[in-house]
Amino acid sequence: MKRDIEDLGRRIEQLLAQPEYQDHPLRVALDELWRAFLDQTTRLERVTHISDGYQTLAKERENDLDERFQKQLRKLEKLARISDHYQRMMQDLNVALSDASNRDVLTGLANRRHLMQRLKEESERASRSGQPYTIAMLDIDHFKRINDTLGHAAGDRALIEVGRILQSSLREYDLCGRWGGEEFMMIMPGTTLVSAQTLAQRVCKRIREHAGAPDVGQSISASVGISAYRHGEHYSDTVERADAALLEAKRRGRDCIVLSEV
Amino acid sequence: MSNLTITGSQSTPAISGDWEAGVLTMAGDSYPENSFDLFNQVIDWVERFLAETRRPLSLELHLLYLNTSSVRAIMDVFDLLEDAHGRGHPVAVNWHYDRRNERVAELAEEFKEDCSFPFAILAHD
Repeated sequence: MKRDIEDLGRRIEQLLAQPEYQDHPLRVALDELWRAFLDQTTRLERVTHISDGYQTLAKERENDLDERFQKQLRKLEKLARISDHYQRMMQDLNVALSDASNRDVLTGLANRRHLMQRLKEESERASRSGQPYTIAMLDIDHFKRINDTLGHAAGDRALIEVGRILQSSLREYDLCGRWGGEEFMMIMPGTTLVSAQTLAQRVCKRIREHAGAPDVGQSISASVGISAYRHGEHYSDTVERADAALLEAKRRGRDCIVLSEV
Repeated sequence: MSNLTITGSQSTPAISGDWEAGVLTMAGDSYPENSFDLFNQVIDWVERFLAETRRPLSLELHLLYLNTSSVRAIMDVFDLLEDAHGRGHPVAVNWHYDRRNERVAELAEEFKEDCSFPFAILAHD
């Protein structure tokens, strides 16, 4: 195309230069037409050039915007990822904290707070379903003597051992915990006084056989008071009756189980 | 040239910027009510330091929990450091964590991604 125009240009220039056409009426018109054509061509090239310049500029801006957008997007993704990670950390800490606040440090069993929460839940459940639960209060006999004669470390070991026996004697949906000092509680949903007594007998036997203080071959025993939740009462009444039954077991000479009368 | 001192609280980190030494320290938890106000002072201080001096700047971080807007502010500070590093200004981050809290190190690792300046994650007992 460009070469065609160059050829044409050369031919026209030659024609215009030939002396025999000097006075030809078309020569002036051709000369003007040719100049106008050259002028238009130059103009077209300039417009194209400027237009290309604008297009390049727009493209660069688009690229720049895209790059900035991608950068912001990456930043946002990173922000979300890190923030999620912090949230997971918080949740895990909450779980650990809740666990710590419900657990007895020495025995690893439920603590009194946890037991009370469960008593409240079981009382509500029993009121709805009409199915009672029983609780057993267990106290290690002559615990003070173990502490005084064998030292606190031996006392701690006895507590841990009794806790382990309780834990392994219970069903999945029962709960045992340390009520305080050397006193433990077992909460047994859907259980009668009689079957709770059978369970308590088994626990006491295992304590006598396994929870002795091996250092001096001294065996230990436990006293137990058992009560059943009465429909409509506050759980503290149930606990009080189990406590009274435990006190009666102590009065009868310890190492025995007393049921609170229905 | 001035030092930056922001007293920490339960929800805001203790922040101190030592202009002479070129050290910015942040320690504690960060979930402020208005993180914009808090971290703007930090960002201003860092920007000023990087603009007005050619001396090295190091960040000593002892941060534990950060809420989302605090995470964002810290990332903004790191962006300033990244730009400065690109210009040849010496900058560094030392993120300190308690050895018993490995997750803080994991989080610091995540911050460290795409940072090309010196960024150390240091355990202490």
